[in-house]
Amino acid sequence: MALRSRGGWWPALCIGITASILAVYILLVTSNWIYLGWHDTLYFFSKSRMWERFWLTVWTATVSTSFSLFIGIPAGYALSRFRFPCRYLFASIIDLPIVVSPAVVGAFLFGITTRFPFDWISEYYGIYIGRNVYGVLLVQFTVTAAFCARLMKASFDMIPVRFEAVSHSLGASPLRTFFKVVLPMAKNGIIASMIVVWARAAAEWEGLMLFVGATEGKTDIMPFAIYLDWNGGMMGWVTSMSIVCILMAVSAISAMKLIGGRSNVW
Amino acid sequence: MSGKRRNRTIINAFFYSFAGFLFLYSAYLFLSNLDQLFVTEAAIKTREITDIWGEDREILNQFAGGFWKDPYFWKSLNLTLVITLITTLIATILGIPTAYALSRYRIPGKSVVEILFSSLMVMPGSVVGICLIVMFNYGPLWKLQNLLGFKFAHSIFPGMVIASLVLSFAFGMSAWKATFDSINPRFEQVARSLGSSRWRAFRTITFPLAKSGIVAGIILAWTRAMAEFSAVLFFCGTFRELPASRFSDLTKFLQMDQADWVSVAVWAQVEFGNIEYGFALAFVLVLLGGISVYVMHRIGAKGYVW
Repeated sequence: MALRSRGGWWPALCIGITASILAVYILLVTSNWIYLGWHDTLYFFSKSRMWERFWLTVWTATVSTSFSLFIGIPAGYALSRFRFPCRYLFASIIDLPIVVSPAVVGAFLFGITTRFPFDWISEYYGIYIGRNVYGVLLVQFTVTAAFCARLMKASFDMIPVRFEAVSHSLGASPLRTFFKVVLPMAKNGIIASMIVVWARAAAEWEGLMLFVGATEGKTDIMPFAIYLDWNGGMMGWVTSMSIVCILMAVSAISAMKLIGGRSNVW
Repeated sequence: MSGKRRNRTIINAFFYSFAGFLFLYSAYLFLSNLDQLFVTEAAIKTREITDIWGEDREILNQFAGGFWKDPYFWKSLNLTLVITLITTLIATILGIPTAYALSRYRIPGKSVVEILFSSLMVMPGSVVGICLIVMFNYGPLWKLQNLLGFKFAHSIFPGMVIASLVLSFAFGMSAWKATFDSINPRFEQVARSLGSSRWRAFRTITFPLAKSGIVAGIILAWTRAMAEFSAVLFFCGTFRELPASRFSDLTKFLQMDQADWVSVAVWAQVEFGNIEYGFALAFVLVLLGGISVYVMHRIGAKGYVW
């Protein structure tokens, strides 16, 4: 028995640190409810200004997520399966937009939108990408495309290459293998990653601050509106919108866990 | 057979092209801004778009704003590096036991804990900042600060460390937890059955096995702390315009007074109209981030997503 209790301070320390850190994080997440109170929460939730912003966030995040998925699924498959020289260098450059601060990415978008494909698009089709909702979509796409490719790479990494080899040996074409073997097997991972990418797109605001700017009712998606209202000193709006954002993030992650995916690629 | 092979090459090229698109987009995103460093038409155009071109503002009309001559730049870089190192140290000291406990011990409500830490990764930075402000500036913690006589918010030393610690800890912790999850607990059980204590079993068995994952988690936590923007902006703000009397002797001694967090400084300078200066700072951040992500790829760290 004496043998068992020796060194028992280590699990006690671990569990003690875990409990205190959890208390801090739970206080952090719930502080808005404590501040606002039940009555005011109901008041702000019944206002239409809140729900206009909510639906703006939802539709912009959905559109940019679908663009990201279109690029991200094949790119993730390529990154997962193919080996090529200077792989790490290429992968690092692909990952740069998610590794540097998103505010910096927003600043860099100034340069790209005044150059070749974008100035051509705005001239011929009259779609101006900048201080309007297209700018919001571009910021969300830039930040989530590489993120999506990484998550998809993780989903495809979990599938053994063996199944593809068997499918090839039985005479199926590569495209048929991809659609009939790889995609069905990766289905859960792809759906889970899709939810995380959507939540990440809905959480993007730092790039908007420099690149897009505020237009009431047009570009103020919810995380950005928090900043704007905070500058305007409207603490009630700020805290109630924070509650909505926290609920969005938590429900997205819960849905992902329910499906059985992982939010990180470890 | 040769037809099949050609078919396969075409399909591979199809998949490669999407990855190549991402690579080109990302490279073009950063390279197309190189001329913003020079005082050119593009910079003037950007100023017109942002509509903050004021007559009364001091604009540094030279290459990259002459950032290497400006003490503000060196102080900001110093501030950011020192604070991120402190943050990473705290995150490591607190995060490894937490990850170990969450990985090995039976803790009630573990799935709720996992959802909490995972949702921090997709929570908007502004929400994290607002939560910090509301948590520290109202209620019992505010009374505690009044009692102690100093404030957490809008300060360099506790404030910036707290603001960058929130997400840095969450990311590092998830990395270390995944590392401990991947190590078979059986080795430790064998060590304990042979008579070593719990601490010794951790120190001599699990820790050496987890070493590469722990290093990867430390780099991850540091990178995330460097990429922090919103929490610092909300919780600390900018310090450039504050009078020198607001800073303590310690921050003056460490050359950290009247300086900003680098990514906040990028925003402040571009809004201010110093496009060249702001982009020079931004390229410094890109360089640091690129080096750390390359190192993470080299040592085989798999995950860093935010």
